[in-house]
Amino acid sequence: MIAKHDVLVVGAGCAGMRAAIEAFDAGADVAMISKLHPTRSHSGAAEGGINAALGNAAEDNPEIHAYDTVKGSDYIGDQDAIEIFAQEAPGDIIQLENWGAFFSRREDGKLAQRPFGAAGSPRTVYAADITGHVLIQVLWEQVCKRDIPVYEEFFAWQLVENDGRCQGVICWDLLHGGLKTVGGKTVVLATGGAGRQYRVTTNAYACTGDGMAMALHAGLPLKDMEFMQFHPTTLYPTGILLTEGIRGEGGYLINKDGERFMKRYAPNALELASRDVVSRSEQTEIDEGRGVDGSVLLDMRHLGAERILERLPSSRELAMTYAGIDPVYDPVPVRPGAHYHMGGVETDKDGATELTGLYAAGECACVSIHGANRLGGNSLMETITFGRRAGRSAAEWALSHTTVEVPESAERDAEARLRELLDREGGERPWKLREELGSSMLENFAVFRTEAGMTKQIEILHGLRERYPNVYVEDKGEVFNSDLTQAIELGNMLDTALCMVSAGVVRKESRGAHARPHDYPTRDDDKFLHHSITRWKDGGVELSTSEVRFTKWEPQERKY
Amino acid sequence: MRVALKVWRYDSATGERALREYEIDAPEEATLLDCLDIVKDRHDGSLAYRKSCRMMICGSCGMRMDGAAVLACKTRMYDIAQEGRVPVISAMGNLPIVKDLVVDMDPFWAKFKAMWPWLEPGYERPEDGREYRISQERMNVVHKESLCINCGLCVSECNAMESDPEFLGPQALAKGMRFVGDPRDGATVERLERYNSEHGIWDCTRCYFCNERCPKGVDPRDAIAKLGAESIRLGIDRDMGAKHAKWFVRSAETTGWLREEELIPKTQGYVSAIKQLKFGYSLAKHGKVRPVPIPHVAKDVNEARTLHKLVREQDRQGALGHVQGEHALERLAHGHVNESLEEIYARPGAAPRPWLPEVEEAPSA
Repeated sequence: MIAKHDVLVVGAGCAGMRAAIEAFDAGADVAMISKLHPTRSHSGAAEGGINAALGNAAEDNPEIHAYDTVKGSDYIGDQDAIEIFAQEAPGDIIQLENWGAFFSRREDGKLAQRPFGAAGSPRTVYAADITGHVLIQVLWEQVCKRDIPVYEEFFAWQLVENDGRCQGVICWDLLHGGLKTVGGKTVVLATGGAGRQYRVTTNAYACTGDGMAMALHAGLPLKDMEFMQFHPTTLYPTGILLTEGIRGEGGYLINKDGERFMKRYAPNALELASRDVVSRSEQTEIDEGRGVDGSVLLDMRHLGAERILERLPSSRELAMTYAGIDPVYDPVPVRPGAHYHMGGVETDKDGATELTGLYAAGECACVSIHGANRLGGNSLMETITFGRRAGRSAAEWALSHTTVEVPESAERDAEARLRELLDREGGERPWKLREELGSSMLENFAVFRTEAGMTKQIEILHGLRERYPNVYVEDKGEVFNSDLTQAIELGNMLDTALCMVSAGVVRKESRGAHARPHDYPTRDDDKFLHHSITRWKDGGVELSTSEVRFTKWEPQERKY
Repeated sequence: MRVALKVWRYDSATGERALREYEIDAPEEATLLDCLDIVKDRHDGSLAYRKSCRMMICGSCGMRMDGAAVLACKTRMYDIAQEGRVPVISAMGNLPIVKDLVVDMDPFWAKFKAMWPWLEPGYERPEDGREYRISQERMNVVHKESLCINCGLCVSECNAMESDPEFLGPQALAKGMRFVGDPRDGATVERLERYNSEHGIWDCTRCYFCNERCPKGVDPRDAIAKLGAESIRLGIDRDMGAKHAKWFVRSAETTGWLREEELIPKTQGYVSAIKQLKFGYSLAKHGKVRPVPIPHVAKDVNEARTLHKLVREQDRQGALGHVQGEHALERLAHGHVNESLEEIYARPGAAPRPWLPEVEEAPSA
């Protein structure tokens, strides 16, 4: 063990930094572990905005925000958590502003808010189309102000469980080499998503589900893993995100005939229906031959250059750089791409998991406020509100307990496993498996799902998992061995993918992002109004369910 | 497409450097980062570089291509491959190399942290507990500085840092301007005092490489100029650099000329000027300065005076006196100003005009 702290936060994106700041302010000795420098985290790539019912642009209140979120979740979001979320969001936004966040402003000097999908009011606070960047910067500034230590480019690999509690993390020191164990009275997982399981994704290379996999391997339950959000507007062919804010600012989705096809699928909300609805509509247009080269078109021409440059400058730059298209003159080809895990490590309202001393927040966690479908702008808000709550409760627990012990055997075992991987010669290179995973997940577990496709995908995943012990690392050195960490990441993606598809097969209904138009086209509240739970047992997935917590909203038919 | 590249490898264990050439097949849309990925996956797993978002926002993949700093994810390879060029890829400059294309960013972040890079609120919190009200226009003063992704390309290319590694440098100073220019910040004077110290703003050599290389249009050199202007406006002018700049203004305002002979005493002080008399004599002998410096007033001096007065009247003496840099102007110049929507829809090869079913008729093909 190289060091110990009261609170150890794994991951330094928005949720991780917010948790660390809160733990620090609660008086704890806190440190962060991150495989990237904090400002490199993928939270920074969030574009469109962050939802809080400030009511600056139109009548709004937390109750409406909560209702929109419940409805968006297709009624399996936990309503007690959603109510806390909607209530505390406005205060958290004001705090970010006090810390210096560079949000866009209204004429009257208040924070500007823009319309977003499936929201009853223009509720999305934003900073042009680089909201995530602005939040990452302001949180990093506050981390610097507090001088919170960061174990930078430490790849967290394994949780240390001792005496029935989580007491630290075993990491690979990417920059200098070697396994390093950092002890913590409490550990907060804030490692983000796993979109890299898919060939077409908005996610960064770093989004490989490391925290989910660590928790899974420590015997913890992952919740609602079958719900993978496909973002409707990812740039063809790279999958780079183009914000929902483009549609919020008035952008159209058209097919090859110029038809604003959303009118046929969501007659009232049109382009601003919820993401699952828009992605399905796009996929249907593409599948039925009304697309353009496997895409539909996102048309901003009518917004005019001035508005595009003022509100959507970075989206324009992305389209120009990666598709060679200036959206001032031409519509941009987009298609649904893997974007966000609604599921994750099961936590309570304070981020606590089943294992004493272990907390989780942000995309790697499942509180659950997103249920079967997340609303745009709710995930950045979740990182802040539940990052704060997890940081607070982790600090409080840590400050009332004293010892941190890491058994030598844990470090020895990890060392032996690592050496085995590092010393392996011959076999397969990880990229082959990674590419097969990405293509097959996109084919069999994307916007539309079938029984046959999912069954096939489980077989494919079993096959990949059987081959995984034969992958070898070409770089045998200690310094910046990203070949090694990429091989470990592949294992994490394979195991979490197996949880997703296993949970998907048994959910014989269509709900939110889980759409089975051919065999179970409707929602079935009698049989499936529950969370799915996956655990790792004997090298495979064990499935169960848990109840959804309701407060005041009864399930209703969901129309936009 | 076929892409060839040469990569400067560096092994920190042995200290060996070697230029390796790779030839790969890549899709036509491939960026430099995609190409490095293909090399690492299929040819040489030991190649080290940083990456994450691959969409120009995380700032991980800074490196040099043919000696100029670039973001690998922003650099498309199609044209280079078509021309048959074989670019040389190497690590960023001004930072110690750890391995291959990975540099040690610690010195970079140490300078960042030296800026007090956080807001020190200098306003009364609104009594209603809500956000502080401020116009977008006033916040836009630091718009460009707030775009910085800390990639380090500007630092890599900084000529001043090459001669003085302690120089705070373009990214840290741009971050400093992000707070000095923020109307909500209450620590402007303390910040400027700090940034005016040794290795601070006046050590910049104004080579503009940072503006040139910044992938986000931050224009760090402009930020440094704004810090200088703000310092002088607030009377923080003991540095020679500030005195030098002030003399230019004073000289232009009073006589309409730059009175070079007085520049040394005004900037460095009289003692220092006397010590340099011999050098001055040599300059005069070669006709570089006039032997007897008699100030003479330019014919149109009133124009210079009017300009100066105007700047004062408009209250644009500090950072506000600096217009947006060329890059910002370039981004605004998109050639769309005079084109109507109808004209855009009618462009040759344009995508069909959008229409709403059930409300509008489909336009006839």
